[in-house]
Amino acid sequence: MKKNTGLAFVFVAPALLFLLAVLGWPLVQAVIFSFQDIGIIGSKGHFVGFANYAEVLGRAHFWAALGRSVVWVIGNAVVQTVLALGTALILNQKFPGLRVARVWVILTWIVPTVVVVIIWRWLLSTSGGMINPLLMEAGIISRPIGFFATRRSAMIALILINSWRWFPFTALMILAGLTRIPGDLYEAARIDGASATRRFTRITWPLLQPTLVVLGIIGTLLSFNVFDVIWLMTAGGPSQATETLPVLIYETAFKGYRLSGAATISVLTSIILMSFAVLATRAMTASEANR
Amino acid sequence: MTAFRFVAAAGLALTLLTGAAYAEPVTLTWWQMEQPPQRVKRIQELLDEFNKAHPDIQVKQEPQSWGDVYAKAPAAFAAGNGPDLLNSIPDFTTVIKKIGAVVPVDDLVKDLDTKHHFIKATLAPYQYDGHTWAVPAYNMAISMWYRKSAFKEAGLSVPKTWSEWKAAAQKLSGSGRYGIGLPANKQLYTDQTVYSFMVNDGAADIYKDDGSIAFDNPKTVAAYQAYADLQKLSPPDSPSWTWGEAEACFNSKSCGMVLQFTVISSYNAQAEGDAADLGVAAVPHADDQSESATISYSNGIMITTKDAAKQKAAKVFLSWLLEPEHYGRFLNMEPGLFLPVTEDGAKADSFWNDPVTTKYKSQVETMIENSKNGKLFGFTTGKVFPSIGAISAQNVIAETLQHIVVDGQSAADAVKAGQAHMAEIAGK
Amino acid sequence: MRRTVAQSVALYGGLLLLVLVIGLPFWWVVTGSIKMPQEIIQRVPTMVPHSFTLRHFSKLLQSSDFPVYLLNSIVVALFSMVVTVVLALPAAYAFFRMAFPGRHLLYRLILVAYAFPGIVVLIPLYGLFAKIGLVDSRASLVIVNVALALPFSIWMMRSFLGSVPREIEEAAVIDGAPATTILIRIMTPLIAPGIASVAIFAFISSWTEYLFASVLIVSDARRTIPPGFAGMIGQYQIDWGLLLAGATAATLPVVILFALIGRWFVSGLTEGAVK
Repeated sequence: MKKNTGLAFVFVAPALLFLLAVLGWPLVQAVIFSFQDIGIIGSKGHFVGFANYAEVLGRAHFWAALGRSVVWVIGNAVVQTVLALGTALILNQKFPGLRVARVWVILTWIVPTVVVVIIWRWLLSTSGGMINPLLMEAGIISRPIGFFATRRSAMIALILINSWRWFPFTALMILAGLTRIPGDLYEAARIDGASATRRFTRITWPLLQPTLVVLGIIGTLLSFNVFDVIWLMTAGGPSQATETLPVLIYETAFKGYRLSGAATISVLTSIILMSFAVLATRAMTASEANR
Repeated sequence: MTAFRFVAAAGLALTLLTGAAYAEPVTLTWWQMEQPPQRVKRIQELLDEFNKAHPDIQVKQEPQSWGDVYAKAPAAFAAGNGPDLLNSIPDFTTVIKKIGAVVPVDDLVKDLDTKHHFIKATLAPYQYDGHTWAVPAYNMAISMWYRKSAFKEAGLSVPKTWSEWKAAAQKLSGSGRYGIGLPANKQLYTDQTVYSFMVNDGAADIYKDDGSIAFDNPKTVAAYQAYADLQKLSPPDSPSWTWGEAEACFNSKSCGMVLQFTVISSYNAQAEGDAADLGVAAVPHADDQSESATISYSNGIMITTKDAAKQKAAKVFLSWLLEPEHYGRFLNMEPGLFLPVTEDGAKADSFWNDPVTTKYKSQVETMIENSKNGKLFGFTTGKVFPSIGAISAQNVIAETLQHIVVDGQSAADAVKAGQAHMAEIAGK
Repeated sequence: MRRTVAQSVALYGGLLLLVLVIGLPFWWVVTGSIKMPQEIIQRVPTMVPHSFTLRHFSKLLQSSDFPVYLLNSIVVALFSMVVTVVLALPAAYAFFRMAFPGRHLLYRLILVAYAFPGIVVLIPLYGLFAKIGLVDSRASLVIVNVALALPFSIWMMRSFLGSVPREIEEAAVIDGAPATTILIRIMTPLIAPGIASVAIFAFISSWTEYLFASVLIVSDARRTIPPGFAGMIGQYQIDWGLLLAGATAATLPVVILFALIGRWFVSGLTEGAVK
């Protein structure tokens, strides 16, 4: 490998500086806000030390939202992994229309979130929505249900909607990993008489690990920070059942008019996520080294 | 000096004078929150007319959404690029006032009041701390909507009390239809409908005179109980409703009654559009009250520029807007929804000359009548406390209802929790 | 390669499920957008429309600023796409092929960029943009979109670069080619499909961005589709026909885009191994 420090920095610097300026600096600002007592945006703030942190960590509000975020992330991870993996496996086979399928499966991802929200809000409603009549016709339910009427069903519905939006994208990323597995390995295994399941557990799964791990880390981070779907669909309701940390931050800043409070929660959230990211990438590098 | 030279000199002097008098037109940026396309279009028509008639003042609209503007406006003012005119509802004004961006309009309002006679209920929420903080522009008040044919079929007369109301709703329910559609969402619409009950139960004041919260009292609990009972007769997804879903329910005949500012334009476009069958009445009151009241949302326009020339121009524009010949057309940007805030506006030809308003004349007249007995939570005692901004923004009134409907708490416990939350906000 | 009956059933059954799960909602929305208002909200909905009207679309195009939103979305997305690729490609190459101190640390750091909720960045960024006069400008959106797409794009690029056999590069090095030449004249053509994938990713990410667009853009003339569309939902009323027409119209441009160049996105991902 060429040792090319100067040129390397020239290559890397633009991207790095860009990210530092656009993401890094505002983060520093947010940390500063968290040590002040700013209410409405634009009003003056005074230094209050760790008072905000003590208050936020002392109230159940923060921990409840954190718990919901964890449920949200895990729910999304499970549903999306199952759907995406299944879809990727299907798209890795040969069948008529494969090309078309691979291109159009991503339809739910290329559409703006507002559109996704409108679609599902209408479909799940009782005035003209298709889902209730369908479920009733299939005999699954006897009366129409309000999907966002109870805390549990609201969280489940949101997880399903968000997964519906993202799983094709994740599927294509997994597919990319799948296509890199050399076909000869499968051929050799087949000649040796290995069943489909065996081929999956011995070849597919292990060789897919690196892709899955990185997708898992990035996916978890992105999933944790999802805001617009939840906000536009339920605004954190009903009765705060879907109030995850990003939603709490938004509400604290713009509905509670406590900018510093929101900044504090943001900083705490970032610390949690960064710890996760660091630990996870360390594990990833370790397992890569073992290969 | 010859006559010619005199005329020439006079002509020159005149040219110089008018040349000096000509200045750059004052441009005003107006953030208004009526984004639906037909409303933006109507406002633009009015602005084009105004701008043409006033070459020295040019007003430009920037449609914003209520959802974003609570975040955007303070940020814009803090950054120094806020608008010159800003639409408002009463609690939003308290937020903008807190950051010092709004300018009192006492003289202008006094002047306009003499000319056009404001309906008191629309002015009250903007008058406190010794000043007037916005010019009322259009009003909305909740009424109860039903179909006369459905009532006739069920042998019902228009309910005036809560017991009558419950009976009527029960009678209208059945075979997949719901007697009444009440929302239970943590959202502004639910704040509004719940308060319609509170106001009809003598529980209109949520503040005491000293700014502490008076939310937890037997009347409020009774109001929530009555609401929760009726909500049981509503469609199962009503905990996620905003205004649109309730209207759709009514229009598709799934709901027998709804509480709404209006259903006129959607009933006209999406349902039968039979003016003779559309019934509207005042929101029923508790059995022990003598008359009905409602929640009224006076939408106003604030002047938010510190520049003297712009302020002057803004006053010219606002006066122009409330002139009867223009005002009716402004209100009819959404016919059958926005009600006049002035007495002569209620009589203006420009208001009644709209096909939809004419078609539903009797309904609109009833709506205007109902609006006169309107109140708004946090603005009922003449004293306004800044915490109302956060209490409104966080939809605590609706949140309290959700404790009953979603969490299964008793009305008394829910109201207690609501009181605690409001007190916490008020304490900051 | 023979499939058992069971495998075929699983495969085609899964495919059918996919088509239904992804396609049905869009079918309902598109058919809903051409239904008469009464049919849209009726209690028992219809799978196939019984009525037909174009009024929702005409209202959308004539009375709303939708065409303006569309244009803005396209402009912002195109610029975001170009800037992202230009920044990501050299960075990815450096991370992958060049040795420099802190290489691993920096690479991990870039992924960590996703550890921050967007909202924490929103207000300070608004303040910063206000100071330099970038509020209510499409440039501000481009800047934000690039920042949001860059980390993942760098990772994607790095994977594509990783699939290029070393021999090709080593041959160039032996021939005395400097790194820049290697990058531009040799690597880039080889991973062109990969670049296309990243470009499309950046484009779509920009297309669907809502939070920043709703706060940073103030005037209607510069609004993009997501906040513009959210605004059409309107306070106090919902015109479902208009919304469904808007949803259809907001989907159409990217559908057309994908019909034209969608295969590049997929082929970039799936034909990773270089021939």
